[in-house]
Amino acid sequence: MDLSLLQHLAAGNTWGAIRPELALGCLALGLLVLDLLFPKRAGGLVACVSLAGQLAVLADVLCHFHSVWLNQDTFNGLLHPSLAGQAMRVFLLLSSILVVLLARVTLAKHPAPRIEFYHIVLVVTAALMLLVQSNHFVMLFLALETVTVGFYILVSYFRTSTASLEAGLKYLILGALSSALLLFGIAILYGVAGNPFLPGHSADAMRYAELAQFLTLNPHNFLASVGIVLVLAGVAFKVGAFPFQIWIPDVYQGAPTPVTAFLAVASKGAGFAVLLGLVLRAFPSYGWLVTPVITAMAVATILFGNLAALTQHNVKRLIGLSGVSHAGFLLLGVAAAPYAPLAVGAIYFYLLAYLIASFTVFGVMAHLAGPEDSDQELEHYAGLAKDHPFLGAVLAIGLGSLAGIPPLAGFMGKFFVFVAAYQAGMHGALVVAIAGVVVSIYYYFGWIKAAYFEAWKAPAAGSVPVPTPVGKLFGLVLGVLALGSIVLGFYPGPLGHWLQW
Amino acid sequence: MGQFLFSVFACLTVVCAAGVVVCKNVVNAAMCLLLSLLGVAALFVRLDAFLLAFLLLLVYAGAVVALFLFIIMLLDTRGQQAPQARRGLTVAPRIAAAALVVAGLASLFVKGRLATPAVGTVPALGASLKLHAYLLFTTYLLPVEIISFLLLIAMLGVIVLSKREGEHSGYGN
Repeated sequence: MDLSLLQHLAAGNTWGAIRPELALGCLALGLLVLDLLFPKRAGGLVACVSLAGQLAVLADVLCHFHSVWLNQDTFNGLLHPSLAGQAMRVFLLLSSILVVLLARVTLAKHPAPRIEFYHIVLVVTAALMLLVQSNHFVMLFLALETVTVGFYILVSYFRTSTASLEAGLKYLILGALSSALLLFGIAILYGVAGNPFLPGHSADAMRYAELAQFLTLNPHNFLASVGIVLVLAGVAFKVGAFPFQIWIPDVYQGAPTPVTAFLAVASKGAGFAVLLGLVLRAFPSYGWLVTPVITAMAVATILFGNLAALTQHNVKRLIGLSGVSHAGFLLLGVAAAPYAPLAVGAIYFYLLAYLIASFTVFGVMAHLAGPEDSDQELEHYAGLAKDHPFLGAVLAIGLGSLAGIPPLAGFMGKFFVFVAAYQAGMHGALVVAIAGVVVSIYYYFGWIKAAYFEAWKAPAAGSVPVPTPVGKLFGLVLGVLALGSIVLGFYPGPLGHWLQW
Repeated sequence: MGQFLFSVFACLTVVCAAGVVVCKNVVNAAMCLLLSLLGVAALFVRLDAFLLAFLLLLVYAGAVVALFLFIIMLLDTRGQQAPQARRGLTVAPRIAAAALVVAGLASLFVKGRLATPAVGTVPALGASLKLHAYLLFTTYLLPVEIISFLLLIAMLGVIVLSKREGEHSGYGN
């Protein structure tokens, strides 16, 4: 064995570059040890430990935002840390912290095990953080599979509820199908790029850079096009873009509320980071194929999401389908990304605004949910603003931001994405998107109307679950989130500047 | 001799693959799948791809088909009539499958033999187990570590989802 070669290769494994992910993995293992050592008291302790640990990791990422590994390949080119990757790390950590906070509220109402939930959330977050930095298809697929397996468990976590089990089964089957599509696409790309008869063939075409080089030299290869479309389809499944959105309503309704939030925000956000990486770094020379496919998907997704959400009465289904329309707006940004320099920053800003607004709404939903988590109807919100003015106000701000009402952050996010789409010359798609925004205002305001103006409709006490009283910590978090929506709307400056890459 | 062995294993693979589709009895279909995989593994051995051949045998023939058989035996479908699918549903896949076979054969006849690259133009890569193992513990160390976490949460998930009510230690409250 050649020792010097071994040393050289081992030097490629720059473990310091993934310190936050390693810390999350160790924290997850630590939770299991905690359960082993203190089986009686671990239930309450574990959420606090997980929360404190994640806050420490978040502080670490923020302190070392411009880390030394930025823009150079680590782990022999498997990962590519970048400023966008750092921003996504912060985004994913914020969402996992908020998911843990939501879980404390929701799990208190259900006889389900605790430690495993927090453990899986931590592992999934670490995998998502690796996923958004991946620079290699092996890395992409494995990180994605770890995330998906984690979500199979989390979605069916309340296994005494039939809705949760049904959601888990649907997610399992459709998730496996989408993984198969993705894997098939990767295999085709690897196979065609390894063909020694084609110019620029490579023995390691799993690497984005080598694949991009091969694709530049073979600009209209049929097999490569099939592979690219299959890979895009696999990722589109995960973000819930049309025509791969069929699993969304049932899974979002059946999954426990914190898991729905995790799926809606973290999983979708990471999906878009992956999509951006693929479009900009792996397939840049196939714009003739990628741009029309993603634009068509964006238009169809916006139309489907908004029209299907109009008729929903269950708030979890409503937020799921409205999430589909948000995926459409984000896809518009992805389609514009190769042509408009503003688009990448706009997508990250949109994602942040979406995170803040979504968790505001999910926070209210977690408090209003009864013992059956999937049964959260619009009628349960009747008279909310009168009985619980704080929850009502926070809900209105969150929904307003999701709808894109001017002074709030959601409006600025949509505005930036639309400007980017305009710069890229996608005028037709822009008209559809603006029509979609108008439609979305209808159903978001239907929800606000239920909370504010339908006090007379409030059913007799006992027929509707009583909201859990809002704890001090959670009240503070909800207040900060609502304030964040307002402040970012009025003054997006620092972040908008920050995201100019 | 080589040509003869190739023909034998290729026939075994194709005939057994057809058997998987045609067999009415699910146990027989699963056994056909096993034989078909054996044929493919033998073809890989003939190509000097020993690792691939053994992985196919261990993972697919050994684990996946065994799992299929296990589930079939568990469900015990003997003596039950397979539910009649709607006519249109069975016709469409038949036409699609036939079209695929015809297209494959046609492409073979139109394009003729596959072009054979000159010796030396194809880099001899990755056939040996040693090289694979070496890569797994150097270049691809991080993915291997990720898989360990994947297996850990999968195991935890099975325990959480299948444990009987009231046995959980961490219920809280």
